[in-house]
Amino acid sequence: MEKLVPRMLGDEPVTGGRPFHVFGIRHLSPAGAHHLLAFLDDINPTAVLIEGPADACGLIGQLTARGVVPPIAILAYTDHLPVRTLLYPYAEYSPEYQAFVWAASNGAEARFIDLPTEVSLALYDRRRGVPIMKRPDGGPEDPDSRGAFRAEQSRLFEDVVKLAGESDFESFWERQFEHNGRKDAYRKAVARYSELMRSRTEAMEWEHSPEEAAYNEVRESYMRRRIQDAIDAGHEPDRIVVVTGAHHTSAMDLRLPPIGDKEISSLPKVSTKLTLMPYSYYKLSTRSGYGAGNQAPAYYELLWDCMKRGDAAKLPAYYLSRIAEHLRAQGTFRSTASVIEGVRLAEALAALHDGSQPTWRDLQDAAVVCLGFGERSVIAEALARTDIGTAIGSLPEGVSQTPVQDDLNRELKRLKLTKYKTAVAETLELDLRENRRVQSEEAAFLDLNRSVLLHRLELLGIGFAKRQRAGQQSATWAERWDLQWTPESEIQTVESTLKGETVELAAAFALGEKLEGCADLAEASRLIRIACDCSLHKLMEDARSVLQQLAVDAGNFEQIAAAVHELSVLAQYGSIRRLDTAPLLPLLQQLFLRGSLLLLDASGCNDDAAAAMASAIQIMQGTASEHYDTVDAGLWRAKLEELAFRDDRNAKLSGLAFAILLEKNEISEEQCSREVARRLSLGIPADLGAGWFEGLAQRNRYALLSRSFLWKQLDDYIATLTPEAFQRSLVFLRRAFGAFEPREKAAVAEMMGGFWGVSAEDAAIALQEPLSEEEKEKLDELNEFDFGDL
Amino acid sequence: MDQKQNALRLPAEKLYEAELQALKETDKESRPAGWQLSPKAVLTFLTGGQAGGTAITPKYIGNKRLVEMAIATLLTDRALLLIGEPGTAKSWLSENLTAAIHGDSSKVIQGTAGTSEEHIRYSWNYAMLLAQGPSDAALIKSPVFRAMETGGIARFEEISRCASEVQDALISILSEKTISIPELGREVSATRGFSVIATANTRDRGVNEMSAALKRRFNIIVLPAPSDIETEIEIVRKRVAEISGSYELKAALPDDEAVRKVVTIFRELRSGATLDGKEKVKGPSGVISTAEAISLLTGSMALAGSFGNGDITEEDIAAGLQGAIVKDDEKDRIVWKEYLDNVMKKRGATWRNLYHACSEMNQ
Repeated sequence: MEKLVPRMLGDEPVTGGRPFHVFGIRHLSPAGAHHLLAFLDDINPTAVLIEGPADACGLIGQLTARGVVPPIAILAYTDHLPVRTLLYPYAEYSPEYQAFVWAASNGAEARFIDLPTEVSLALYDRRRGVPIMKRPDGGPEDPDSRGAFRAEQSRLFEDVVKLAGESDFESFWERQFEHNGRKDAYRKAVARYSELMRSRTEAMEWEHSPEEAAYNEVRESYMRRRIQDAIDAGHEPDRIVVVTGAHHTSAMDLRLPPIGDKEISSLPKVSTKLTLMPYSYYKLSTRSGYGAGNQAPAYYELLWDCMKRGDAAKLPAYYLSRIAEHLRAQGTFRSTASVIEGVRLAEALAALHDGSQPTWRDLQDAAVVCLGFGERSVIAEALARTDIGTAIGSLPEGVSQTPVQDDLNRELKRLKLTKYKTAVAETLELDLRENRRVQSEEAAFLDLNRSVLLHRLELLGIGFAKRQRAGQQSATWAERWDLQWTPESEIQTVESTLKGETVELAAAFALGEKLEGCADLAEASRLIRIACDCSLHKLMEDARSVLQQLAVDAGNFEQIAAAVHELSVLAQYGSIRRLDTAPLLPLLQQLFLRGSLLLLDASGCNDDAAAAMASAIQIMQGTASEHYDTVDAGLWRAKLEELAFRDDRNAKLSGLAFAILLEKNEISEEQCSREVARRLSLGIPADLGAGWFEGLAQRNRYALLSRSFLWKQLDDYIATLTPEAFQRSLVFLRRAFGAFEPREKAAVAEMMGGFWGVSAEDAAIALQEPLSEEEKEKLDELNEFDFGDL
Repeated sequence: MDQKQNALRLPAEKLYEAELQALKETDKESRPAGWQLSPKAVLTFLTGGQAGGTAITPKYIGNKRLVEMAIATLLTDRALLLIGEPGTAKSWLSENLTAAIHGDSSKVIQGTAGTSEEHIRYSWNYAMLLAQGPSDAALIKSPVFRAMETGGIARFEEISRCASEVQDALISILSEKTISIPELGREVSATRGFSVIATANTRDRGVNEMSAALKRRFNIIVLPAPSDIETEIEIVRKRVAEISGSYELKAALPDDEAVRKVVTIFRELRSGATLDGKEKVKGPSGVISTAEAISLLTGSMALAGSFGNGDITEEDIAAGLQGAIVKDDEKDRIVWKEYLDNVMKKRGATWRNLYHACSEMNQ
């Protein structure tokens, strides 16, 4: 393999010296498909050998089965992690696909002759990493050198395009080859063109990118071997047609050496599996590499349809009418006269380039001028629909698919979701509650079952469904999903095959893996929630025990509160998912108890940590009032009370605890005024006092506003302060009231005014007046207040 | 010839007479009825190339495809409407297209608020009309009328500046290709080759919106601002050289560095961001097109030639920039100052002199 294989010179006739026929194509070329069919009819071969993975031969029959709608793809994937995939997409106008169809209806044998996927995937890895072979001079591969080769190659293409007077390669190709309607002209022209291009770049490729060149050599010698095999199997060489990419035509010559058995067995291999999957035009239009140059699949399909009917000349009229139709559907009226002018303009543009008919580019430009009135943006969407389209392929039941694909399709059908399997995103609103107006149980819980499936897909990372925020806030029975099928999501489905045979098993496996790696209480409780959403009862139990184990050692109040929250939501609304939540209750009790006991310790924190603590306390309080019969609410209340009256804990949290108790009427007026006086008395640093007040204001503010004795106390406190201390506390009080709404602030001001003998109306007027310069200055001074201790 | 020597500005067919002649001689392709060149030769005339031994200078630099579309439009007997920001070479393209196709770019209607239907169709020599009654001799033909008779192209500049009802006079001319003269009881039908090239300004959008019926009769092509800085520099350099030649400015052409600086400043102010996209800048209220850059540099050349030593100095450019950018006095002055201090000042030594000159001017 180290020796360079000599190649035929480019000036030999295309089929000279070859006993069999070669038809060089461009993948996804409608004219290629059209002329190939005519060629096959002419030759009437007994064997059609097609560039494609040899191990996929068994799938050819299924590709042409009744009910298969292209675009479809053969997907090869490694059956171990990490999964790597290779795709071979086919549209209806792919020459390869038409070759399958021809062979099937004419009783010829169709075979793939390229390297099997187990080798090409292995070599693909190698090409990225370790070089397959050394450079002739023994030096290491130089990435810059590969870049130089690529640049040189694209420069060559640019030169060809420029010589032809075109603006881009696609227009060049379409005008020169796709529009060439004469018999045999396509085959000969493409073969000649590729041969010349190859002869110009080959030597350079060997020098600069030996991996690529060597890989190509391996493929071609393998294909020659397959051709030889077909001849040996008894096919008349004269009745064999080889269909390959045009680049390979010159190498399909048996005078060049085929690969030997020993060499085949020495090729690297990875174990792979094959499956079929539907494909989409959108994906086809964005792919690089194999599908490159098919930016407008829907347009090419139109071209193919016109060619099939033998009137390619009508294409411009069809194309522009379609755009006008889309525009009208969107509410932008465009007349038939404009379409006619568009066709004329496109034809004039083609004539400027000596073309026989307009190319895609000509048609697009004509559409912009005549239908968009010069503005591309007006017709952009209609253009996208006409060029790319939203078509996706489909496979009938029974056609080779992975078990998970089959299972997903069955589930989608069962849950009446099949119509969402489109390339256009659609929104699905689910109501998880039982539908009492229907008869069967299946129908009554249809939405719930849908939700379970979609949650499982989300867990598996299959991008078919994306959860959105439900319209009504925190309505536990409503869900909103965006559904959109893409080839990626199909590939993700196939990848899930390694996790289990059905969606449910795969989801359970995925969740199990997550549980194993889970070391965090909050994370574990989230997993319980997921298990519940996915209706995986066995795993819910597993997750519960994981959570329980973690809970024993848990010492973090915030994490406990998060877990308590998840569990409490489940316990409360579990019934909507028809779950038995009873096993969760003991765990909830246990966690709540632990949380209650930790409260006091955890509350000895600084102000930064207090914010997270405060929300955790709120959650605990919420749980305490919702599950008062389950959890030990009495203990919680006692701990809160202790926190409220302790001086050595964070003042803000003490204030919060006090507010909770106040709200619950657990504190008498007399107790309250005593506490306020104590908290705000002289000698207590002003920041602590104000911090306490800030915590107090975090709960229901109306509960505060309605207790005037509290404000009286505040007033008294302020009166006792020295000017210096007043300024100090003012800073904090200002912050405490910062979160109040203007209405609430006004209410406070009026109440204070009442104590100072100002009527409510006067106070309101005073509040409405703009600040004077002097007052502004004072406020600014406050902003720069020097605490002296910072 | 005398006239050629003294004309302030020559029409395109005179300015490029030699090139057109060379193209005519070498043009082997078939010519559409009424055209003096084949479509491909017209394309060569506009985008540059070779004709025999004569080099054809490019007239419209940048998007060749747009020129192809314009020619294809005229090939299909359609009227052409060129739309674009001020200074995107709409009139320039229209004049050169007409010159190449018919060799006469002088049939022009300038659209203004005062343009009336008579300017588009025909009017009368009233003295003769009163004396003799309606007659061919008393008829004053509009440029469109004359173009129809001879099978030429009429140009309609700034069509959106004139009132909508006046614009609509074009509808029947464009769809039926006739002008009827009821006073004389006859109709004039267009000879093959007749067409109209109109231009309109995007800044005028909404002033006199074109009716849908009229819009439908035009093929509309939007001319963009030059897509990249190199194209714009090339355009500016070429036009400055041509203009200074015909105005006999006694100054050296601005060097590449100066052109690049001016174009950079213009592009940045136009797009509202620095070329590298890292910094946002505020744009001035006025138009800052390529055409503005061209006149700025020729203006600087005139300053340098008349009052300086013949070499353009930073001060000359600064004076030009000040005039081009600061139009709406105070607001623009602040925009320009911000640009100077935030962007130009940080550009290092090569920009230092220009910065100082501009700052001084903007005091």
